[in-house]
Amino acid sequence: MTSEISLKDLKELDSRYNIFTSMTAEESVDAEFVFSAKDNLTSKDFETRAGSRILEGYTPGFDATPIRRMRDAGGFLAGKTNMDEFGFGTFSANSAYGIPRNPFDTNRSCGGSSGGAACAAAILENHVALGVSTGGSISCPASFCGVFGITPTYGRVSRYGLIDYGNSLDKVGILSAKAADLTKYLPIISGKDHRDPTSCVQPDMRRSLRRIRSVAVPKEAIDGISEDVMKSFESALELLRSMSIDVEYVGMPSLKYSIPAYYVIATSEASTNLARYCGMRYGQQEGDLTLKFDDYFSSIRSKYFGDEAKRRILLGTFTRMVGYADRYYNKALQVRQVIIAEYKGIFKTHDAVLTPTMPFVSPRFDDISKMSALQSYKADFLTVPPNISGTPHLSVPCGYSEGMPVGMQFITDHWNEDLLLSMATEWENAFDIRHPEVKL
Amino acid sequence: MDREIVERVAHIAHLDLTEEELERYSKDLSEILEYFQMLDIAPESEEFGFDPVEVADVLRDDIPDMEIPADALLSQMKTYNDFVRGPRIS
Amino acid sequence: MFCSCPTTGADAPNTHVCPTCLGMPGSRPSLNGKALELGLTIAKMLKCEIPKTTWFSRKTYFYPDLCKHFQITQYDTPIGEKGVYHLGKKPIRITRVHLEEDPGKIKRVGDGSSLVDYNRSGVPLVEIVTEPDISSPAEARQFLSELLTEIRYTIDLPEDGERSVRCDCNISVGTERCEVKNVTGLKNVERCLTFEAVRQTKLLKAGRTIERETRHFDEERKVTMPARKKEYEADYGYIGEPDLGIFHIARIAENIKLRESPLNMASRFQSEYGLDERTAKQIVTTSMKLAELFEELIKVSDVQTAKTWITGNISAYWKGFEPSDEEKKDLISMISDFHTGRITDTECNIRIRSLMTGEGQKEMTDSAADLDRLIDAFIDENPSVVADYRKNDRAANRIIGSVMKQTGGRYSSADIVDATRRLMDARSQRSDA
Repeated sequence: MTSEISLKDLKELDSRYNIFTSMTAEESVDAEFVFSAKDNLTSKDFETRAGSRILEGYTPGFDATPIRRMRDAGGFLAGKTNMDEFGFGTFSANSAYGIPRNPFDTNRSCGGSSGGAACAAAILENHVALGVSTGGSISCPASFCGVFGITPTYGRVSRYGLIDYGNSLDKVGILSAKAADLTKYLPIISGKDHRDPTSCVQPDMRRSLRRIRSVAVPKEAIDGISEDVMKSFESALELLRSMSIDVEYVGMPSLKYSIPAYYVIATSEASTNLARYCGMRYGQQEGDLTLKFDDYFSSIRSKYFGDEAKRRILLGTFTRMVGYADRYYNKALQVRQVIIAEYKGIFKTHDAVLTPTMPFVSPRFDDISKMSALQSYKADFLTVPPNISGTPHLSVPCGYSEGMPVGMQFITDHWNEDLLLSMATEWENAFDIRHPEVKL
Repeated sequence: MDREIVERVAHIAHLDLTEEELERYSKDLSEILEYFQMLDIAPESEEFGFDPVEVADVLRDDIPDMEIPADALLSQMKTYNDFVRGPRIS
Repeated sequence: MFCSCPTTGADAPNTHVCPTCLGMPGSRPSLNGKALELGLTIAKMLKCEIPKTTWFSRKTYFYPDLCKHFQITQYDTPIGEKGVYHLGKKPIRITRVHLEEDPGKIKRVGDGSSLVDYNRSGVPLVEIVTEPDISSPAEARQFLSELLTEIRYTIDLPEDGERSVRCDCNISVGTERCEVKNVTGLKNVERCLTFEAVRQTKLLKAGRTIERETRHFDEERKVTMPARKKEYEADYGYIGEPDLGIFHIARIAENIKLRESPLNMASRFQSEYGLDERTAKQIVTTSMKLAELFEELIKVSDVQTAKTWITGNISAYWKGFEPSDEEKKDLISMISDFHTGRITDTECNIRIRSLMTGEGQKEMTDSAADLDRLIDAFIDENPSVVADYRKNDRAANRIIGSVMKQTGGRYSSADIVDATRRLMDARSQRSDA
C-alpha cells in the first residue's frame, strides 16, 4: 500500500548531521516506505564510494541484493549513508566525505562504521536504514544514537553488492527507531541468493517468534566499562528480571582473545579485498598510464586511500605473509572456532548472552582524535565477539547518561534471529526510549 | 615491527609511504602487534573453517548467462577500441 | 569458473564480462559445479590421491590482467596429488592437479601503456604439475600430445588446437633448474626446452654455473630470455577464500566413471579382435565415438564385417558428422541387415551414405543404378575384360579408367571402384556357372 511520503527535510538534516554521501533530489515520493543504505552497498542510482576517495565516480551497474529486495517490496531508496572508509572505524571519523554528527550532541560521534545509518534511523521520520557490520558497525552506532540495530547471523543476508571489508565477517543488517521495523524488514532482505554462496546454507528464518527467557552476562564483558554505562546496564538487568527473564553471570575466558583474532582475520581479508583498487576499471582512473604498472598502482593507492585504510592494509598484508601467517592468520582462524564453541556451550543453558554494547557513551570528536589506533580497536571489545563468531545480535537503548544513549546487546545462537526480534518488541514496550530533539 | 619490515610490507601492498608515514605506521603496528602477541598463548582448535558457519558444497550449474550487458559495465572504464586501457607493462 | 559468462564465441574484446570476472566492487564468486567435476575426472584419470575436502585460496599479486589483484586458486588442498601417467611403459609422476581461474589478456601498446581484454578472465583452468621425470624435449612433447588426447577424450572436450595449452617448463641439465613460463603450444614447448638444454650445456661446458631463474620464451626468435629481475617481491600471502566455502569431494570423485582411454582401447582392439596396431590407432584417433561404434557393430555382425565398414565408408564420411544416438542406432541396424542378408552391400552403402552425407537415398539409388548401367555397358562392349579379370583383378582398372573419363567426376573414384569390383565379381561367378 503506497502513500505519498515527504522528503523535504532531508536536505536540511543532511547538511546539519552529514548523514548522506548521496541522496535523492525528490521532495516527496509515492512508495510503501522509505529506506537508506550504507554506502558500501552497490546502488545503480547513486554513486557508491564506501566512504573512500578511491571509489569516487563508481556508479555500479547492479543493485546489491538487499537493496533490490527492499525496492521490490515497495521501498524507495532515499540515499546512501555516510560511513568510515570501507568500514574501517568505530566512530565514522574515517570517512572522506565529512563526519556524521550525533543527534543527541553534535560534538559527538554517531559511532561507526554505519554512523550515517544510525543517525538517519534516529532522526528521520518513518525511516529504516540498512547497515553493515564487520566487527560491530551496526551495534556501535545503534548504541551511540539510541536506536535499535540488528545484525543477523553471518550468511543470513546475501552480500552480493556489498563492497568487501572482511568476507567471513561482513553482515548486512537493519537500524531503526522502531522495533517493528526490524521484524518487518529483516525477512525481506534475508534468504538464499545464488549470487552469494555463503547465503545458501541458511535454514529458514522462524516465522513464529520465540521469547528470550534467560540471559547470561559474561564477567569479562563488564570489566573495563565506564561507570555510567555500568549503571545503566545494571538498571536494565533489573528491568529484565521484572519481565521474568532470568539473569545469570557466567565466565567466558576466550573472549579476551577476540580483539586480536578479529583484527588479524579482518585485516588479512581486507588487505586482499582492497588490492583491486588501483586506478583501473572504476573509481579514480586519471593517473599517468605511461608509468610502469607497479608505480601506477602505488601512486593511485597512496594518494586516495585514507590513513586508517593504509594502516589496516599494512597490518593485514603482514599477518598473512610467509613466515608470519601461521602465527597470526592461521592461529586467528583457530581462535575464532574456540570462541564459537564457547558461545555454543553457553547457549545450551541460556537463550542469549547479554552485555553492554559499548564500554562508554559516544565520545567527543576531540577525544577521538587523541585516541591511538590500538585504543580505538580495543573499544570494540564488546561488539567483536558476536561478530567474529557470526552469531546474530541486537543492540537496544537501555539508558541515558548526561543525555547520551547507552546501549546493551543481546546475542543468540546462529540462525535464532526470531529470539532477538521478539526481544526488541518486548523491550520497546517495557523501556522508556528517548528520541533526540531535532529542530528544523 | 621494525622499519625495514614495514617498508617491505608497504612495497608488497603497493603503498608509497612518506617518511612521516613510515615512522608513524611503524610505531602503530609495533604497538598493535605487541598486543596481538596474546594469540600465541590462545587455545587452539581442531575445528577448521574460513567462515563462522559451515559453508559447504555450494555449486552452480554450468549454464552460460549474462545478467548485465557488458557495455553497461565498460561504459565507465577507460577504453580504446573495446580494450580496457591500463598502465605500461615493461 | 566463478561466474556464468560464456567461455567461447566472443566476437569482440570485453564482451563476455560481468561484475564477478571484472572484479567489480560488490561482486562475488560462485563455483561452477561442472568445472569441479571435470577437474576431479582428470585427477582420477591421472590416478591421483583425492582429499576428502578441498577449498580455494587467494593468491595476491598486482598486474593489469588480474582484476581483483588476487587469483582464486588452490594452494594447500589441490584436488589431486601423487598421481601417475604412463607414457608407453614409462611412468611420469604427477605431483598435483588443481583448479584456478584464468586472468585476462594483455596487449602491449606502442606508447607504452597496455590494452586488456577480460573475456578470458575467469575461465576455468586445470593445472597439472609433473615431477622431473621427463628426459628430453621430444619426450616432453610426446607426453603432452598423448596426455592431451586422453584428457580431451576423458572429459569430452572438442578439438581446440594445441594453443589452448600453456606450460611452465622446468629443465635442468646440471644440478640447478630454470623455469620458462607461459609457453603456448606443443611445438613451442619442444623448441624452448631444446634451446634451454643447449644453452645450459654451453654454460656448463664453459665452466660456468647455472643459477635458478625464471625465463620466458620468445616465440618469434625461438629463444628463451631471462625474465626481468623482479623489482617487486611477490609474497602471495595466501589466505582461504571465504566466499566459496569448502567442498566434500570424495563423494563426487567416487561417483565419476572414467571412460576407457583411446590408447587403452587401441591396444585392446589389437589383443581382442586381432586388429593390427595401425588400424586400431587409426580408429581411436579418428574418434572415440567411431571406436565405440566399431564394438557395437561387432555385436550385430562379426569382426571382419565391422572392420570393413568402419574402416571403409563410415570412416570416410565421419568428418563433419558425429552421429546422434538415433543415427547410431540406424547405422547399427543397417550393418545388421547387411550381415543377415536382408540388404545388399550396395543398398547398405547407399543407406549409410545417405544418412551421413544427407544425400537423398533415391538420388543415390538412381545414381548408383546409372553407374551400374554404364559399367555393364562397358563390359558388354568389352567381354574379354571378364576373362582378364579372372586372371588378374587389375584388369578392372580399364573399366574404372574409362568410366571415370566418361562420367567426368560425377562419381567418386571410390564409388566407381566399388561398383566395378562388385559387378566384375558377379560376372566372373556367373561365367563359371
